[in-house]
Amino acid sequence: MILYDFEYERPGSLKEATALLNESGDGARLLAGGTDLMPNMRVEVVTPSLLVSLSGIEPAAPEKRADGSIKIDALTKLSDLVDDELIKSELPMLAEAAHTVAGNQVRVMGTLGGNLCQETRCLYYNQKHDYQFVEPCYKRGGDCCFPFPGNDHNTCWSVYMSDIAPVLIALDATLEILGPDGTREIPMADLFTGDGLNPFTLGAAEIVQAVIVPPLPERFGWGYHKTTVRGGLDFGTAIIVIALQLAEDGETCSWAKIIYGAVGQGPLRPTTTEISMKSAVLDPPLIAVAASQEISPLPHHGFNKGYLRENIRVYTERSLVRAIARARDKS
Amino acid sequence: MNHLRHVGKSVKRKDGPDKVTGRAMYCQDVKLPGMLTGRILRSPHPHAKIVSIDLGKAKALDGVKGVITVEDTKGIKHGFVETPRYPADQEVLARDRVVHVGEEIAAVAAIDEVTAQAALELIEIEYEILPPVFDPHKAMREGAPEIHPSHPKVAEKESYANIGGKTESGWGDVEQGFADSYYVREDRYESHLRTHGYLEPQVTVAQWESDKLNVWTSSMGAFNKRAKLAKVLDLPYSSVRVHKAYVGGAFGGKVDLYSHEYCAARLSMLTGRPVRFVASREEIFSAYRHGQPLVVEIKTGVKKDGTLVAQELRIINNSGAYRGSGVVVVFLAWGFTMAPYRVPNLKYEGYSVYTNYTVRAPQRGHGCPQVRFAIESQLDTIAEEIGVNPIDIRLRNARVADEELPNKDNTHEAGLQDCIKIAAEKTDLVAKYGRDRKSPPKDSSIRHGIGIGISAYMSGTLIYPNGSGVIIKMNDDGSAVVLTGAIDLGQGAETIITQIVAEELSLEMDDIKIVSSDTDTTPQDIGAWISGLTYVTGNAARQAATNARVKLLGVAAEQMNVTADDLYLDNKEIISQSNPDNRLSYQQVIAASVANHHGDTVIGEGFWRTMRDEPNHPSLATTKGRWTENYAYSAQTAEVEVDLDTGEAKLVKALTVHDCGFPINPGLVKGQIDGQVSMALGHAFMEEILTKDGYTLNTSWLDYRMPTIHNMAESEDADVITEQYEVGQSYRTKEVGEGLVSGILAAIANAIYDATGVRLHSTPFSPEKILKGLRELERQQKAAE
Amino acid sequence: MDQITDRTTVNGKKSRSRVLEMSINGETHEITVKPRVMLLEAIRDKIGLTGTKDGCESGTCGACTVLVDGQPTLSCISLAVENEGKDIRTVEDLADGDNLNFLQEAFLDQGGTQCGFCTPGMLMSATALLEKNPKPTRDDINKALEGNLCRCTGYNSIVDSILQASDQGVKPRLL
Repeated sequence: MILYDFEYERPGSLKEATALLNESGDGARLLAGGTDLMPNMRVEVVTPSLLVSLSGIEPAAPEKRADGSIKIDALTKLSDLVDDELIKSELPMLAEAAHTVAGNQVRVMGTLGGNLCQETRCLYYNQKHDYQFVEPCYKRGGDCCFPFPGNDHNTCWSVYMSDIAPVLIALDATLEILGPDGTREIPMADLFTGDGLNPFTLGAAEIVQAVIVPPLPERFGWGYHKTTVRGGLDFGTAIIVIALQLAEDGETCSWAKIIYGAVGQGPLRPTTTEISMKSAVLDPPLIAVAASQEISPLPHHGFNKGYLRENIRVYTERSLVRAIARARDKS
Repeated sequence: MNHLRHVGKSVKRKDGPDKVTGRAMYCQDVKLPGMLTGRILRSPHPHAKIVSIDLGKAKALDGVKGVITVEDTKGIKHGFVETPRYPADQEVLARDRVVHVGEEIAAVAAIDEVTAQAALELIEIEYEILPPVFDPHKAMREGAPEIHPSHPKVAEKESYANIGGKTESGWGDVEQGFADSYYVREDRYESHLRTHGYLEPQVTVAQWESDKLNVWTSSMGAFNKRAKLAKVLDLPYSSVRVHKAYVGGAFGGKVDLYSHEYCAARLSMLTGRPVRFVASREEIFSAYRHGQPLVVEIKTGVKKDGTLVAQELRIINNSGAYRGSGVVVVFLAWGFTMAPYRVPNLKYEGYSVYTNYTVRAPQRGHGCPQVRFAIESQLDTIAEEIGVNPIDIRLRNARVADEELPNKDNTHEAGLQDCIKIAAEKTDLVAKYGRDRKSPPKDSSIRHGIGIGISAYMSGTLIYPNGSGVIIKMNDDGSAVVLTGAIDLGQGAETIITQIVAEELSLEMDDIKIVSSDTDTTPQDIGAWISGLTYVTGNAARQAATNARVKLLGVAAEQMNVTADDLYLDNKEIISQSNPDNRLSYQQVIAASVANHHGDTVIGEGFWRTMRDEPNHPSLATTKGRWTENYAYSAQTAEVEVDLDTGEAKLVKALTVHDCGFPINPGLVKGQIDGQVSMALGHAFMEEILTKDGYTLNTSWLDYRMPTIHNMAESEDADVITEQYEVGQSYRTKEVGEGLVSGILAAIANAIYDATGVRLHSTPFSPEKILKGLRELERQQKAAE
Repeated sequence: MDQITDRTTVNGKKSRSRVLEMSINGETHEITVKPRVMLLEAIRDKIGLTGTKDGCESGTCGACTVLVDGQPTLSCISLAVENEGKDIRTVEDLADGDNLNFLQEAFLDQGGTQCGFCTPGMLMSATALLEKNPKPTRDDINKALEGNLCRCTGYNSIVDSILQASDQGVKPRLL
């Protein structure tokens, strides 16, 4: 139950939607599946005065293009990512990640674009503030940080918990973004500012329109793991994503990507470790130690940094082993 | 030979069809014409003086129909416990001071939710902040911020601050006992804050009709609610009617009077319109009552063979800002200590300590899981130290049938020994125990472990309203209507009462309709919160049926010219054994009764009370006096898997061997067992209310992690039948709805130890703690090498 | 963030109500709602079908699950206006008069309902599953029902209910 009134528009095209956003300024928000926005409006951590609904726009089916890339409409439901034959066969890591999002109803309601643009989370932020934590925190426009009182006004340790974004980064995906001045494309990783206060680089009237995933190379391998307490329904404790390509010898790693989700204001990447994996024969335990040491996971939702790092180490190793095995399978 | 047709059978739920069609009416489904919406203004501070409250702007807002504060009440206090020693201690709205975040200060009734919320925001309150205290040990220190003065009886002897109450008990000579012991050890176990997690939020609809209050409210017993509500409203019980509504789970969280119930009633009286309050899930998590985290310090001495010689326990309960059920838990913790094992020398003290947390409620098991976790964990440690296996040490100490307990209770046909033996046999526990520690699997980080825990639980005790009555109205076609105050909150009360009446009166289940849980039309009932419903209300129903049966037989004997003992009932007929052709239908017998007995329509009356010769409940302070008539005993085993690399652990299989006396409905018993295993594994691995400075951090089910469908464990059970049900005889069946959250928790802790060698001293058993334990073991191993 | 100064106006004006038509259990209903009204509130308060339950209002428990065009949807976080023209089914749609359907019967046979509060949502999630997948595996059941919390049963009997309903060898446990 939302306890304040707002206006609602349901344009017939994304162009109209971006025009509406452009006219309405800060008070407007896009509504796609609503599974992130509605609870946040209910607890009034966001209070838009206008919702621009995209439910009047039918998403296009995922499409394999002439260059082998796959284009996915951002309004595609998460459950369709799970079930779509093209996605399942060509991008199984994406289908698997989509299957780990929340519960079935959220997957049915939630969209790919909405999942990517979900607000960052923190135990303090994501709740009602009518008698608990009445002083607004930095992210709510106030002047304190409850969980980490040492943080200054530039620092918010809310974490970005999309299960899918790390996968799309690992797959080298590009986002097609529609704004008042037309479309632009950015690499998936460039969606994020790394700032918990304002996590996204999108302009106020911009809409993620599509995701384009380039064709996977030969001897490509992947590993995906989402650590949760309950095995379902949960946001991730940590998300571990690995993508790599093996050389023709089936031993040497041509390149590798390691992306971590849920433990930073945006996806995290141990870039030095990634570089060290290039043209190397991989030693998963060593790499896992290096990668987990290289990043600095943010404590969140009751999980401390030391535990997160240890969990990330173990599942980096296990996911890397799977990725190598999958790459060999393909050779 | 006992030929039972209904009792002992796994009959389907009587309320099932209503529940699978959406027809079942819960409080949130009650809608009345002109109904207003209420909302509550709560304290944003854990401890503060209220300097001033200005309601002017709120009252002036369009659509606001009523605003109340404590000034609009009669100032009558209420409490979960209301005894001479522990009188009622809480007002329905805060007066002058708030003592926890979320404490109720004012309430608004308005035409809709938005207006009510807007009105709350217009109430202006000036606070003067007072220092809070959250840690019970800090709260006990002299000079700690005083939430309430220590109980005078405790303050006479001890200088601790903030003591709400204390239970002290014991027998023998523990010091001598420890001196005589072969092995003595001391440990400390801590449990954490959890909550009930009932799916249905608390809802109250109150409607004042000039001299009478109608109430629909989420409860665990309508009569307790009526008594408390009438008291704080200063109304006679006859002016408060608590109506039946289905209850969407409670688990202890809906027993007591809540402020919103008073506010709904009072605002309805003031506005002349029905008023509805719905607690939001955030309110339930951050301002309503949770369970009780205990610190258990335990010292135990045993003989060489593991026989317990002496035990000393000191228990600290972080019991929140009012007395709540905090003083009950420290009493019960004693009971759950002494009931399963024979301890010749015992010293027990339990403190209930005020802190600036929300008030505490009973939560399924009410102290038992916390205490059994401590005792059973330590017992396994002792067993290993002295080289006895976990089964033998338990069999050596477990109580047997017909034992008199120190409080003069009797174990009667206690089947605990059999429970332990059967659990051991069914799981092959002794052979499995220690397997992965002795010969760790080479190529896997997964370790398997098995553990056992036992528990005993009371089956009903004396607390208001103490007794249950049941009335059976025979209809003149031979069918029956049962009037019972019992409330079905999912456990199946209506079903088992129907089974009993069907059995006793030889009716079909469908011949019987139940009218339940309505304070005006049904007799008083103990309620569904002291684990006595099947025993107490069930026996009342049985007696009411017997009463009706005797009347039917008497009339039939006259009509059929035989003696009553020649007659038997069968399928709505009364038949002569000596001449089976001589028979009358119930319809004919009831017609004869009306015709020949001054219009007697045949009404059966029954009532029951546990421990009928005991005047009162036992002393919460000294434990003196009898506690219960029937102890339910159980042994539970857990088989777990632990990943040594990640510390992640899960319950794979649970076995519950329980002595419930005699299962009236084994299918419903199984439902209780499965639910408790699930709740216990949530306790063990997932659920925790996280707080900081008195504020609740996780106010949703995303972050308070109750088990999902992914987390079910295989749950098997076996009955140890120690009683028989016989038509016309009273029975002493035992509880199955609460105690079984306990042994299994301890079993999980012991199984984790068995898998890993890590002995956990606090719940929950998080991966982080297990990893920490494993690292510590590695350090110790290295140091030893 | 924007503090809400007046909960009932938007930029000084009353927000516009909308008149919606939707099919609920095969009946066409026309309702007038403000944009803020959730589908759950529309079904329970405007249409008056109270079988669908309100457990958390925030999409975390699944008690409010209804089928929107056959898809299990959290009606507590779905605006009514978003469901204009949709075909909505609630728990009241399952039985044919007094005749329970096979899934409802299975819940009774297995003890899949206790307090009953999660049951309408469970039944709707299970209905969506079985319509899509008549012989679900245990994993399929887990994934379909992971968004529906139950505090009473421990889930075993709910899984068995669905296995019975999909004719996968699970026999009734209760008489």
